[in-house]
Amino acid sequence: MTAAHESPDSLDDLAGEYVLGTLSAQARREVQARLPHDAKLRDAIARWEERLLPLANLSAPVEPPASLWPRITRTLDAENAQRQRSAARTTSGLWDSLFFWRSLAAGGMAAVLILGSTLALQPAPAPGAAQYVVVLVAPQSQAPGWVVQAQAGQNAVQLVPLAATEVPADRALEFWTKADGWAGPVSLGLIKPGEAVRIPLDKLPPLEPNQLFELTLEPKTGSPIGKPTGPIQFIGRAVKML
Amino acid sequence: MPNRLTPDFDYEAAIKECAAGRRPALEALYRQEGPRLLGVAQRLLRDRAWAEDIVHDAFVRIWNQARSFDASRGSGRGWVYSITRNLALNALRDTARETGVDEDTAAALDARDAIEAWHDTRDAFDWRASAGQIGPCLEQLEPVRRNCVLHAYVEGLSHSEIAQRLGAPLGTVKAWIKRSLQALKECLA
Repeated sequence: MTAAHESPDSLDDLAGEYVLGTLSAQARREVQARLPHDAKLRDAIARWEERLLPLANLSAPVEPPASLWPRITRTLDAENAQRQRSAARTTSGLWDSLFFWRSLAAGGMAAVLILGSTLALQPAPAPGAAQYVVVLVAPQSQAPGWVVQAQAGQNAVQLVPLAATEVPADRALEFWTKADGWAGPVSLGLIKPGEAVRIPLDKLPPLEPNQLFELTLEPKTGSPIGKPTGPIQFIGRAVKML
Repeated sequence: MPNRLTPDFDYEAAIKECAAGRRPALEALYRQEGPRLLGVAQRLLRDRAWAEDIVHDAFVRIWNQARSFDASRGSGRGWVYSITRNLALNALRDTARETGVDEDTAAALDARDAIEAWHDTRDAFDWRASAGQIGPCLEQLEPVRRNCVLHAYVEGLSHSEIAQRLGAPLGTVKAWIKRSLQALKECLA
């Protein structure tokens, strides 16, 4: 369904059925995908929304439970805190995209479930020793692909694959990290897909909460410029385990 | 009467305040419309907890998207309802509640001579008291067509669910709804 050869009438019919609610899930998604770049459809929908709004009065009000407003404010507070953390970072692009990190949160549950089973196999950390974990997820699908684990005090991280990673024959996976205040990501070397590896962080400061880790697709011998050049395959932030 | 609508509530101003990050404006909007929005969502979803989730998501979205509200394209109240209804309808369609009647069953209904079945002139909705400006236009629709529109908008029924509810052929219901929308548009113009 494209706007190019769509008559004004059929566009208005579509808008009317969209607002009325009779479109299928698929058709609704198609309409919603068009909205950002289809002003005519947006306007037609806005007019239908105004026309049919009085029908909303036919549903009797239902008193919300007292808990609903506090629940809304809790969500807003949590988003606000996340936004402030994100704003504190200074680099550009995906590293700082609030939208990206928000959408990532939606995919976080699957990662947490996998993490739970991974961590259950680990010995309990020594008391007082902070442990960090990072779930690296694919930016698009948000499917978890790798987990990074680190014991504070031991200046090394362990990178463990959670799923198979496809890498083209002429490319390599390069592992990067960046903490707040660093000028840019630092390479942690090339990674073989599907293999767990322990990586010393000898020359780096101790891990910090929220420190970024990512795997990018680079030339066989690694990025020629010492900074990520290829697409991000997996990305995540360090979380301090209690 | 906690549900009473404050008649001169300024929705556009409240949304503007939300865009400026002032939380009390969102709370005022919630006090004003929360019960009605929950009523709308619950009627669509037929599930109290699910409807509460939708109203929660709607107010989070209102807060986050307040800056994108454009008063030249519609009323603030309409915007708030659209956000809520869209979330509810997306949820409803995505979970494919439509177990009642599939297209095959509907086609079978089509095949049968159902003409006698929908000579029903009774109203399924008590719409006269509350339909406001659209009331006279609804009045002009045949009752069965009016019911189609209201089953869809108020109860979130799909074409085939309405066909099943009325015992009418699916194609007929689709045509009724299409023509009813056109008639409403002309009447309200």
